[in-house]
Amino acid sequence: MSQLEIEGVCKEFPLRGGKGSLTVLEDVNLSIEAGELIVLLGPSGCGKSTLLNAIAGFNPPTRGTIQHDGVAVTRPDKRRTVVFQDYALFPWMTVQKNVEFGLKAQGVPEAQRAATARSHIELVKLKGFEDRYPYEISGGMKQRAAIARALAPSPDILLMDEPFGALDAQTRVLLQEELARIVAEMRCTVIFVTHSIEEAVFLADRVIVMSAHPGRVHSIHPVALPRPRNSETRALPEFIELTQNLWEALKPTWDQASTGQD
Amino acid sequence: MLESLLGQRGSRFVRGLLGIMLTLAIWQMLAWLDLINAVLLPSPLTVWGAIVDSLSDGSLIRHIVASMERVVVGVLLAAIVGLTLGVLLGRSSIIAEYCKPIIEALRPIPPIAWTPLAILWFGIGNAPSYFLVFIGAVFPVFISTYSAVRNIERTQINAALCLGATPAMLVRDVLIPGALPVIFPGLRIALGVGWMCVVAAELIAAQSGLGYMIQQSRLLLQTHFVVAGMIAIGVIGFAMNALMTILERKLVPWQESSRAT
Repeated sequence: MSQLEIEGVCKEFPLRGGKGSLTVLEDVNLSIEAGELIVLLGPSGCGKSTLLNAIAGFNPPTRGTIQHDGVAVTRPDKRRTVVFQDYALFPWMTVQKNVEFGLKAQGVPEAQRAATARSHIELVKLKGFEDRYPYEISGGMKQRAAIARALAPSPDILLMDEPFGALDAQTRVLLQEELARIVAEMRCTVIFVTHSIEEAVFLADRVIVMSAHPGRVHSIHPVALPRPRNSETRALPEFIELTQNLWEALKPTWDQASTGQD
Repeated sequence: MLESLLGQRGSRFVRGLLGIMLTLAIWQMLAWLDLINAVLLPSPLTVWGAIVDSLSDGSLIRHIVASMERVVVGVLLAAIVGLTLGVLLGRSSIIAEYCKPIIEALRPIPPIAWTPLAILWFGIGNAPSYFLVFIGAVFPVFISTYSAVRNIERTQINAALCLGATPAMLVRDVLIPGALPVIFPGLRIALGVGWMCVVAAELIAAQSGLGYMIQQSRLLLQTHFVVAGMIAIGVIGFAMNALMTILERKLVPWQESSRAT
């Protein structure tokens, strides 16, 4: 059995006024193996963030099941931590205290959690910024801190909801390379949501393309590019070809999502 | 000319001071010229004498301490109840549905309207003052906590939950500090309202305190002590507000900076 089994997942949101409902996800089926880096790719409105929230346990599906190691997901759990697009760091805590949060929740003794947090801060290359508050550091650094915070409790699965969406293009590229390196080191499963095809191809073992209205799995594309992935990966002919092929295949979906026409 | 000498802040301070001095000078002049009744409105110098007298015999300090103790007790009670209710109702919409209407019904009643009941329930002494301060201060604390908790970023709560936060940790480390930037102005207002309530309560239902002092002085027609008491009330109210502003800057530094950017 796979680490994460998603079976027949539907998500409906009641419409305002109580008349009917909006189907955001329809019959999503996915099996995700331990250690895989899965990218959910799709235009806005395809339900990729909704699916991620359901996997996190924030918002259970209307129908269908999500099983983590054979146990149904019903609520948030420290084995599945989340990195959010808006960082969601606690502004009243220093970087160090933010990263310690999950360890503190597990009752890890103070000295030990300080040490674990420091090693994760080092891992994301924020050494020297432990005592800064989130408002004192840049967006890219905030997201590094958020990644360290999510990794510190050693989750099985790291869920990332458009984590680099709010960053400038250069920082974004740098952080993609950092993430590839960090994940290779941590060996946890990653489910990464994005609407950037390049980002998807660069990071993924498998790209799950989703289509909108209602959100469902459109197609699945294995990415066989060699690891470690780094700046040279982007220059590979296979990388360029795969990116272009994916865009050609996806154009109709994107067009439909942006115009609302079938 | 002032700016070049003292800078912008310095010159603003000096102008404010000059305004006050000028007002006092005119007031004093009118008193000297017998244009205002010295009993109905004592001159600044007479008031100053009253302040010095009541300071030197210790009575003013005694009244100030009595009033401040009542405010502190009442506001602390209000903070405990207001924070608890605010977090509870902010987190549970079912509890909120039960409690909001009764709270909204009680809220518009001015604290002073509770005075007769407060005297019947608690007699004369500290208790009715505690109660009236509590009534005045609890609603600002509750309202600010409630709306602050409801408006905390959903993703911050989710982040805490997926990191395994226990309910106690969620309240202590996320909800309260996250709500603090909104709770603090509420606490400041609560303290201000509490200060007004204590004076009002002491006018009727106490044997000490600044409110009692000005009421007693009125009965003796010692209006210079009435005005001295009023000045003490104003100065202390101002000082408490300033203290809270400093405390706010110390306790929620991230708020200050996010406002600046």
